[in-house]
Amino acid sequence: MASAASLDLGRLVQEAEALAGAVRGALGPRGGQVLLTRPTGETLLTRDGRRVLEALNLDSPTARMMVACVSLHHHMTGDGAKTFIILLSKLLRGLQEILDKREGSPFCEAIQRRGRYQKHHCLKQISQSLMTFQTHILDQITAEDLRKHFFSAFSSLEGEISRHTMESILEAYFCGRIGNSHQKLLSQLSCDFYYRCVHFKNGRNEMLNLVNDYFVELHFAVPGLPVSNSRILEGLVLHRDFGVYCPADGDIRMLIVTESIHSDLSASDLEFVVNAEVQYQASQVWFTKRTETIMKHLQSNNIKVLLSSVKQQEIVIYYAKISGISVVECLSSEEISLLCKTTGISPFVPTWDNVRCEITETMVAKFCRPIVLGSKRYVHLGLTRTCAFQPHCVIFCGPVHGVTEQHASAFQGAFKMLQQLFKAVDLSDKCAAQPENPNNTSEAVHCSLQYSSQQKLKMENNSCNGEKINNQQLKTFPAETEKQFVDSYSWVDENPSCSQTYLQKSSNLVMPIVKLKNDFMFSALIDRGHTLRELQKFKYPSEMGIKNKSEPVVNNHRICNDAMTAIENTSTSVVSKHLNTTKDYWNPGNPIIPFKYEKSYNHTIQSYTSSVIQAGSVLPVGGNFEMLLHYYLHSYAKKCLQPKITVVSTVIADALLSIPKILHRTTKKNSFTQVYFKATSALQINNQLHMNQQGLESVYCKYQLVASVLHCVTKLLTIDLIIAIRRLPQKTEDNDSEGDL
Amino acid sequence: MSRIEAKKPSLCTDKPLTKDVVSFSLSVLSGIVKSCYGPTGRLKQLHNGMGGYVRITSQSSALLGGLSVTHPVLNLLTASVKNHISRFSDCGLFTAILCCSLVENFQRINFESSTVTKISRHLLSSCIDYLKSEACGCRLSVDFDSIKTLLSLVRSILASKPACMLNKTEASYISTLILKAFLLTIPHSVETNVVLGKCVIVPVKDKRVMESAVYPGLLIEIPVFQLASIFPVKRVSSSTIKMALFCISLSGDLSNIGDGPVIVHHGISLEVAVLDQLLNLGKQLVNDQVGLVVCQKVIHPSLKQYLKEHRVITIDRVGLSMVEPLSQMTGSQPIAALHSLSPTCYGSLKDLRTENFVSKHFWHLIPNDILVCSLILCNRNEMAWDELKHVCQTAEHVLQLTIKQPLALLGGGCTETHLASYIKHKSSTLSTGILKAIDCSQTQYQLVADAFCRSLECVACCLEHDDGEILTDMVYGHFWSVQSGFPSDCNWSDLVLKCGCGIYNNQRNLNWTVLQRQCIPFIPQSCSNRPSVNATDHLVLDCFTAKCSGLQVAVETANLILDLSYIVEDQN
Repeated sequence: MASAASLDLGRLVQEAEALAGAVRGALGPRGGQVLLTRPTGETLLTRDGRRVLEALNLDSPTARMMVACVSLHHHMTGDGAKTFIILLSKLLRGLQEILDKREGSPFCEAIQRRGRYQKHHCLKQISQSLMTFQTHILDQITAEDLRKHFFSAFSSLEGEISRHTMESILEAYFCGRIGNSHQKLLSQLSCDFYYRCVHFKNGRNEMLNLVNDYFVELHFAVPGLPVSNSRILEGLVLHRDFGVYCPADGDIRMLIVTESIHSDLSASDLEFVVNAEVQYQASQVWFTKRTETIMKHLQSNNIKVLLSSVKQQEIVIYYAKISGISVVECLSSEEISLLCKTTGISPFVPTWDNVRCEITETMVAKFCRPIVLGSKRYVHLGLTRTCAFQPHCVIFCGPVHGVTEQHASAFQGAFKMLQQLFKAVDLSDKCAAQPENPNNTSEAVHCSLQYSSQQKLKMENNSCNGEKINNQQLKTFPAETEKQFVDSYSWVDENPSCSQTYLQKSSNLVMPIVKLKNDFMFSALIDRGHTLRELQKFKYPSEMGIKNKSEPVVNNHRICNDAMTAIENTSTSVVSKHLNTTKDYWNPGNPIIPFKYEKSYNHTIQSYTSSVIQAGSVLPVGGNFEMLLHYYLHSYAKKCLQPKITVVSTVIADALLSIPKILHRTTKKNSFTQVYFKATSALQINNQLHMNQQGLESVYCKYQLVASVLHCVTKLLTIDLIIAIRRLPQKTEDNDSEGDL
Repeated sequence: MSRIEAKKPSLCTDKPLTKDVVSFSLSVLSGIVKSCYGPTGRLKQLHNGMGGYVRITSQSSALLGGLSVTHPVLNLLTASVKNHISRFSDCGLFTAILCCSLVENFQRINFESSTVTKISRHLLSSCIDYLKSEACGCRLSVDFDSIKTLLSLVRSILASKPACMLNKTEASYISTLILKAFLLTIPHSVETNVVLGKCVIVPVKDKRVMESAVYPGLLIEIPVFQLASIFPVKRVSSSTIKMALFCISLSGDLSNIGDGPVIVHHGISLEVAVLDQLLNLGKQLVNDQVGLVVCQKVIHPSLKQYLKEHRVITIDRVGLSMVEPLSQMTGSQPIAALHSLSPTCYGSLKDLRTENFVSKHFWHLIPNDILVCSLILCNRNEMAWDELKHVCQTAEHVLQLTIKQPLALLGGGCTETHLASYIKHKSSTLSTGILKAIDCSQTQYQLVADAFCRSLECVACCLEHDDGEILTDMVYGHFWSVQSGFPSDCNWSDLVLKCGCGIYNNQRNLNWTVLQRQCIPFIPQSCSNRPSVNATDHLVLDCFTAKCSGLQVAVETANLILDLSYIVEDQN
């Protein structure tokens, strides 16, 4: 018989606090390491909160759900697992205190009257207010108050990142992820890797995606050597040894094959009939000759290296050796696809027909030689670049496998974090949550448009096809919006019905959803942006003024109205106006100097964009984000008229403080109370926070973290009953994770 | 499906290093490794208590491989030592002892782990900088013109493994053999990409050590039944024998048929067809004047017979491990085809002889360019032979490492004491800028540096197992030991003879003091400016690369262990 238990907030708090206890010691730059042992007896060192929490193998379904939420968040951002669980435990504790107080709490008015069942009702109410908070107030506060404190990671106007900034971002990241003796080394290494791999700044996102996707192929772990031997190698190292190695100089032409070159007498769908012994011998000879011819053909095409995903027969190896062709066999499919991606070639299919024609699908390497890493020999290819990724790979050394693995996963996490750094948060999320407001539709359209136009501008897409576009523009808007929502929803993990309804509304407004025709459209927009640019400057002077007074809400409504009318008139003025503003932002007239508190600089970010968080926004580490958010939430709570929101905001604000509390737990010079006092008084006096910490962290990651935690709490509190069912444990586990996703 | 069980929750330990069980098991492990160290180290018998294989050893690789460590912290330590051994073969015990005593000493001063880590990291980097600098006073550059330094290196390795049960003459004989075998693997003509040859160890047990020998080329055992039919080999010229090396089976089996069905009409035998092909192959080999056919796999008896009739010698079933050295030394390419052989794939041999060794008979393949050699290794019993074989491999590896980086460190504890006195001196004259960069106080730095030096000296102390007194001098910072039972009233200078590495004899005014006693820091003087260094026989030397890396690995592992704040053990 299935047993059911109702959700108990007290139990949730206990579980979350136990989980937080496991990772608390590892948080921050002074955190220690956690040693994990696997069922295989292998030991693993880690400071990664997700790894620790997953290794606990918890029994409780709610605790497992929390861990699943952490994993999901970590998987997306590569950061923040420890902060997540600590924040969660504090938040739950705060909510429990509200419930315990009972008297005077806006959530608990009905409890005395209707008994236990209403307790859940009360939780439900809290969860709803949290939801409202997350969707409405968090964005608003970030946009209105927090934004003026952000720095930009970009040093120049073209969106380049100076090495110094990059180093401080990466160093701050590694501070929380690996043992404190190697942080400097690894942040240098990853910084080096970034600058050596990225060839031109527009290929940045492509490079980061490629590095994240193929990280397994791009790194090597060599246990038994000191960590200081870790290094970056130019070119790619394949995880195999040569089957045949024939040294060659100069430019080396290489070929990829994915099937066996030598074919056998019969295949699974072909039968072979032997009529005479001579026939058998002759066919054997013929097959051998065929293989020989193919290999000779490769030789005559000046192919020096054959990269094969399958094991080739000995006869192929033999002829390869005679023809002076090196062979690498049994490459994994990921390696093959990485090679194809970086060089842009496709595998060669050897047939009797193409033996005569010239081979075109080749790649060229500067060198191809064996390399000994640890005790094994591998193949080192010096590929010449053909895409945004300049091929390089990393070698991690360490005394034990556990250390190299930790470094490798932290390294990958750092690149995930960089991916996040270059993302922006749009106001469109906010609009999506309020489908009843008619203005929002157009606002969202405008936001998404602006967002993508910025993106496209950076991509320098120059394919031009101007004339037909005017008519198509309107049709493209809804499609664009949809894409936008898919993007934004994928990370907030929101109830999809919300976006659905909204989407319908937007498609009602402007008719059919057609195929995306971004390229045409935006190239046209860029053109128009140029011509109308001067005009627009004079046309909207008042709005600029409003923006500079930093009243983004009003400003946004204004934009919305504008956008609305603009769409109705099927004119491109709105679009070009926004192009204009983005252009202004990148204008060389506004010097952007990171690390310096200049008012003008802050205003540049703030006034010319309508996004909540600009791509590349950073804040100094050390709990500054949490303290800022805490401060503004408190002041918001004071002003807020709805009692539920006030309570929720206060709880969140207090929970946020737990992070800086732990970060500053041991330092004698900067104890938490001093730091906190300094920060709040500075904010009260001149609305600015004096920050002297060295490292920087991505605001986007932090923002997402708060949103994910709130979402997790909301989800936990909406559970009514926990029902245990009798099925295979494996199955129930699956169900669990499905529910979480 | 019924075997699926729910996962057990993991076991968590907070602040593991404060637990008694950790410090206890750590002290047991450090006791084991310390007692094994050095030429007078105590031997350990490893057995499973159920009649399994018994091993007597003092080598770190066998010891740590045999120990089953349960506690994760110790697991971390042994794993890192084992990884070190797999890379360098040597200095495993050094790494293990240093790591254990670093953990013990650092725990004793009880600072926050990040401070200790930062300071010890700085200490380590100054050690490594010193060892790699020209000014280093405890290293020698290896002179390849004379074999003395290389021989000392090999002899030190042999001497530090007492489980081989060698006496002095045997040890020096075996070290000469190892060095000789190594020199044979170095190619004569040096190109840009140097590939060292291979030394194949041939086991002959239950014989005297002095009967071991080195042969250039390869030794392949002849089965007893073939002995009767040995005939002189067919030569192309007086010093050339043409040979063919096959890496496919010549047994006449039907390979490469494929996955699909093959329909054979009645009366047709595929075996006959294949055999026909084989005999054609034999014909071609005979025509090409091949004198020797070697096959990795099996040769068909008919082909063998055919070749024999034409006075071609066949050797089959040599195995995959022999194919590479064979192809390397003869220049032949492993053939994988049964017909239309290219003449370029044949190799050549200088000579082919038979050798009798006790009861065994071998083909002795002598190449023109000797890159491969065979070391016949004898020892009295199985256990001692195993130990000796390990030592030979270690020595070969060390020699290879030394060729890459032609440096050697003074052995016999002298490097450790010298380094300790260098660090003591360095830490007493530290600039405030460095302290600021590390973010610690002078006292903190001094305490950590003292613990670091104590650990280094502790490694040196482990060389003495017989209650002797260990001294260090105040000039060179070397290691001197005095046997126990000396009269209490005599002068140190009357008792000491030679320092640990054997570079200095007893001199006046060396100003000895007991090791690990507080003394004034001094700059240890260098030994390399002594003209007579290389003239001295019987130095004790250690591999530079292995010891440097061992030092780094030990410090890094100790830091890792100290930095642990939590343990999660999976109970499944």
